[in-house]
Amino acid sequence: MRRYRLGIDVGGTFTDFVLASTDGGEFAFHKEPSVPADPSRAVEAGTRTLIEQLAIAPGDIELVVHGTTLALNAIIRQRGAKVALVVSRGNRDVMEIARSRMPNSYDFTAPRETPLIPRESVYEVSARGLSDGSVLTPMDAGEVAAVAERIAADGHDAVAVMLLNSYRDGTLEREVAATLAAGLGDMPVVASADIWPEMREYERALVTALNAYVHPLMAAYFDRLSERLAKLGLTAPLYITANNGGTVSLETARARPVDTILSGPASGVLAATRVAGHSDLITFDMGGTSTDISVSRGGELAFTHATMIGDYPLMLPVVSVSAIGSGGGSVVWCDPQGLLKVGPDSAGADPGPVAYGRGGTRPTMTDCYLTLGILDPASFNDGKMRLDAEAAAAALGTVAGEMALDGPVAAAEAAMRVATAKMATELRKLMAEKGLDPRGFVLVAYGGAGPTHAGFLAEEARLDAVLVPRLPGTFCALGAILADVRRDYVRPARQMIDRAGKGFERIRALLTDAEAEARAWVAREGAIIGAHELRLTCDMRYPAQAFELAIAVPDADVATLDPATLVDLFNDEHERLYGFREAASDVEITNLRLAVVGKVSPIALAGADRTAPPEPKGARRVYLAGAWHEVPVYARAALGEGAAITGPALVEQPDSTVTVLPGWAGRVDPRGNLILRRSHP
Amino acid sequence: MKLDPVLLEILGTQLQAVTEEMAITLARTARSTYVKDAADFATALVSPAGKFFAYPAAMGVSGFLDLDCGPTIAAIGTLEPGDVVITNHPYESGGLSTHMPDLQLVKPYFHQGEIVAYGWDFIHSADIGGGVPSSISPRFTELFQEGLQIPPMKLVKKGELNADLLTLYRANCRVAELNLGDINAMLAALTVGERRVAELIARHGRDTFAAAQADLVAYAKEKALAVQRKIPDGTYVFADYMDDDYLTKVPIRIRVAMTVKDGHVHLDFTGSDAQVLAAYNVPTGGVRHPWLTLKLMHLIGSLDPSVPLNHGLFENITVFVPKGTVLNPEYPAAVGVRHATAIRINDAVVGAIATALPGLIPAPSGGTVVPTVVSEPNHVTGTRNVMVVQSLVGGTGARQGADGVDGRDSGLANLYNTPLERTEAECSVVIEEYGLRPDSGGPGEWRGGTGLIMTIRVRNPGTAVLGRGLERFVFRPWGVAGGGPGAPCRVILNMGEPGERDLGKLDMYEAEVGDRVTILTAGGGGFGDPFARAPQAVARDVRAGFVSLENARLVYGVALVDGAVDEAQTQRLRAARPARPPFDFGPERDAWERVFDDAAMCELSARLLRLPASTRARARSDIVGRIVPGLADVAKRGLVALVDHPQEQRERLAAEIAALPDA
Repeated sequence: MRRYRLGIDVGGTFTDFVLASTDGGEFAFHKEPSVPADPSRAVEAGTRTLIEQLAIAPGDIELVVHGTTLALNAIIRQRGAKVALVVSRGNRDVMEIARSRMPNSYDFTAPRETPLIPRESVYEVSARGLSDGSVLTPMDAGEVAAVAERIAADGHDAVAVMLLNSYRDGTLEREVAATLAAGLGDMPVVASADIWPEMREYERALVTALNAYVHPLMAAYFDRLSERLAKLGLTAPLYITANNGGTVSLETARARPVDTILSGPASGVLAATRVAGHSDLITFDMGGTSTDISVSRGGELAFTHATMIGDYPLMLPVVSVSAIGSGGGSVVWCDPQGLLKVGPDSAGADPGPVAYGRGGTRPTMTDCYLTLGILDPASFNDGKMRLDAEAAAAALGTVAGEMALDGPVAAAEAAMRVATAKMATELRKLMAEKGLDPRGFVLVAYGGAGPTHAGFLAEEARLDAVLVPRLPGTFCALGAILADVRRDYVRPARQMIDRAGKGFERIRALLTDAEAEARAWVAREGAIIGAHELRLTCDMRYPAQAFELAIAVPDADVATLDPATLVDLFNDEHERLYGFREAASDVEITNLRLAVVGKVSPIALAGADRTAPPEPKGARRVYLAGAWHEVPVYARAALGEGAAITGPALVEQPDSTVTVLPGWAGRVDPRGNLILRRSHP
Repeated sequence: MKLDPVLLEILGTQLQAVTEEMAITLARTARSTYVKDAADFATALVSPAGKFFAYPAAMGVSGFLDLDCGPTIAAIGTLEPGDVVITNHPYESGGLSTHMPDLQLVKPYFHQGEIVAYGWDFIHSADIGGGVPSSISPRFTELFQEGLQIPPMKLVKKGELNADLLTLYRANCRVAELNLGDINAMLAALTVGERRVAELIARHGRDTFAAAQADLVAYAKEKALAVQRKIPDGTYVFADYMDDDYLTKVPIRIRVAMTVKDGHVHLDFTGSDAQVLAAYNVPTGGVRHPWLTLKLMHLIGSLDPSVPLNHGLFENITVFVPKGTVLNPEYPAAVGVRHATAIRINDAVVGAIATALPGLIPAPSGGTVVPTVVSEPNHVTGTRNVMVVQSLVGGTGARQGADGVDGRDSGLANLYNTPLERTEAECSVVIEEYGLRPDSGGPGEWRGGTGLIMTIRVRNPGTAVLGRGLERFVFRPWGVAGGGPGAPCRVILNMGEPGERDLGKLDMYEAEVGDRVTILTAGGGGFGDPFARAPQAVARDVRAGFVSLENARLVYGVALVDGAVDEAQTQRLRAARPARPPFDFGPERDAWERVFDDAAMCELSARLLRLPASTRARARSDIVGRIVPGLADVAKRGLVALVDHPQEQRERLAAEIAALPDA
């Protein structure tokens, strides 16, 4: 009997589904309009549709993996819970002062962030620790009980506790949290040491408060979701995609929703590394409202510990993704001095591009694709939404008139050049930050507009290859069922060590502790997990150096870990980056970072059938590279393994349109990916 | 403009990206704290004439956009491919470098044997020698104390590092190896810029590259003019003060007369004080300079955020700065702490703009940056551990339609603060409080941002707490359009305990174990009549603790009962609304100017400029000292008490001025 896995990704406009048999024999996908008022309704409807489409029994589904932007949207729109923050006395303004920076050095009208928790909801207690883990002032139980009463009386929904220096030892903070919880009935109370015990009180308070902020909302959503899936007869365990490109059980997600806030983009990047095989990739995810890129090397995800969620810094490890534009909805306009601009305003999903006919009046990139002939008004979104080409052209004509360009096509072409140049410079800067040369990297295009624009970006950025996966429009849902279970841990160390082993006992003790916690967690995380492995990264520096290097330790076996190896790894990396080493110097380990990865047995990815040489399903006039071309239009479904096409050409598929530029050629690989390569010098 | 607007937009994006890639390269490969943590560096592409035509949007220091490499390039004479020029000399570089830790590099970019542009970058290096580690102290009185002077010279000749220069540099600098790492990072950034410029020329052609420089500058100039046209025509005079010149208690006055005609702005700094002995002088070279025009740049960037970043933004501005003043000192006046003076220049220019049209620009911020330092003995090694506990700022000023920002100020540098947990991990003090200071924001219809309060408890014997160059203890951040001034700074020992004592301007305090040192920074100025503030906004401030119940009533005329506005009582309190002045400077400045008014001080400045540069500062402090004999005790007695018989003091001042050589 075939077993199936169901991936679900809830976005603002659509909820995407991928249903795949584990043997690679069957594969189906679906897009269901999202229901913002109750996103689980779209999940139920879409799941039912797919089950019916493949005519399987709900019980044949062995695993459901789900991702959602619900928590992220709640944060961006400030619609989370009313959270009380409890801090050590003297630290009341941790949210008000934040890291003291203003968002813009040139613009005095740019406001600072709205504090996640207003000053009135911050409560001080005398309990206070020191940086060596000792207690400066112990808890006053009566005082804490009184605070609990005030928190309840002031109508809060959840509580975050962050005491100074609790990263070093969380005992005092947990004591305060427990005492508060005892006085607050069902109200969730969370201690920062349990969420992410890393030094830096603002960031740690924030990550704890964010967890509390989305907790009630996500708990309620997960309940509804489970209920609806059970109603459909699904018995499979439900997993939730995480920020780190992995997944966690529903149980863990319920306790730690902050780990899932940024899972959507992470799933997309994970999917890219899995479908493209082991190579150096730049992902290019262009949707209606955002354009994101990320870099991964050798099939490994790249992480960052400094992400912004709206105005808030997130110190958790997150798959590193950079926003470089506002997507197909980016507005094309002309400034008073007559220069053509694309963005930063976006028409978003609503009203959306002029061509959507939903009241949008400002032309967007999508209107440009349409006006240039790249998109077909009749077949957009699988023919479910007819585009208004005349309205799009008229709006672009207005912009053309403002800057004496020769009509809508000229304006659209100019906007393409401006937008593409901007994306290419952002891509180049991102590579420079990592010290990488983009040559040799493959651009993986997904999202509705990614495959449409990727060729232009590759041409401008001098990349030689573009990979368009089979289902670029539901790529994040696919990523969900390809991921392993994963959770990250941090242990602040601030420990000097040397090659001979000075200071290493403490490092080993910290690691042993972290390892025990990680293994205990993964053991409880469910039966889908086979083997598991640990990955260790050490943040290291020379004494008094202003910054750290993250040193990945290849074999993270605590028992055999050797201080000399660790110090050598750091010295080598320092020399590689900065040209010298201080071989005689002690080395400080500031943080130990441990990840546990629970392997989920991989599914076979269905390839594309071999087919006869492809026949275009039609042709249309497209304005490319400064001239009109009569180009063949292929259906993606008709392109089997080995199929080859020559640009200029278009490939239409239900969820996107692929542009193959003049001087480029496409070929379908055994995994079903369409690979475009530059065929001109 | 010569280029088509689409190509110009694309080139604008690409050229800025080149400078950003340079900045990324520099930040990624540099090692020192100034670069890594404080982002005290910058990069740019420079026209053959020496001005910046492309600059990063948000990397490094934003304020150096209008620097001029012209004098540095001219000083060298012939440049060849592969050369790189270095300088840190405030005078020889014509103000490219404004204090000596700032190392400046300029590299010519050639195309077919001709210089088509230069690359530029700078870093604030950790040390350049001189009298103290890190090379900066307000008490220095000559450039010679501030470190190694490097006039424009070739660091690299045709690709070869100048080994002699580096040997000299190593011998004069405390952390030479660290700095050489940063210099390598700067060189790497210049090479990236060179490569990218060559690529752009290969792609677009040399002529287009040259035309883009001119067009982008013209474009910025046009946008900037559109913003400056919002300032009504006329001449607007404004002055502001630094509390003292560090070596004496005599205030430093910065005066500007801003003349606006159809968007063209002329800033005349005549009447500003003569150069001072302490390291507060700003070496502008007497030309249009970033330290003089920063607030106009902020105005333009705020009202038109799309303006491209290049020197065109400043091309509708001219300046005049008399030689020998604190804003155009004569060699070898010390300049290390010029940024403290720059804050007050900003405030003076803000005042001139606010005089022209209140509401165009926010009221002044807290106006001080206090790098609070702890120096403690390490009883094991016998050395001293010195670390910056926190850089404290005040709040920002209020503006029409918005309160100031509490406890932050991006006016001069937009830095991250230091987490308390990091401070406590690296030294023995406990930070008992780090928060917003209640009742410190200038009252107004729109409230000024509050200052900060920080309390340090000392736990290690032999610990000293340092805060050098503290400001806004005497002269407050003023209120605009009926708004009140922010509360002035204070430093208090053992606040709220028996033996509480005002430490005045901290400088250096040798603490006992158990001492608590509390630093309170100034709030930003308020905007508009406090009696016009929405009572609900006042209630909210009281609820959050930004304003006390007492001040809600006294200053804002709002009565609260159990946190809710008592409408009837509030109406009664607000019935008699006193007239408010257009600027509220606080009692100290009002009293001071009853003696030292604008006319007298302009005359005094003009006459002091007739004296030899080396004697001006002394002459000025002697004169003021004779008019206000108790000035040295200002911290204890307060300024108002010292100028208590203004009529007589004015007459004596007039006599002193008359005795100076005629201007």
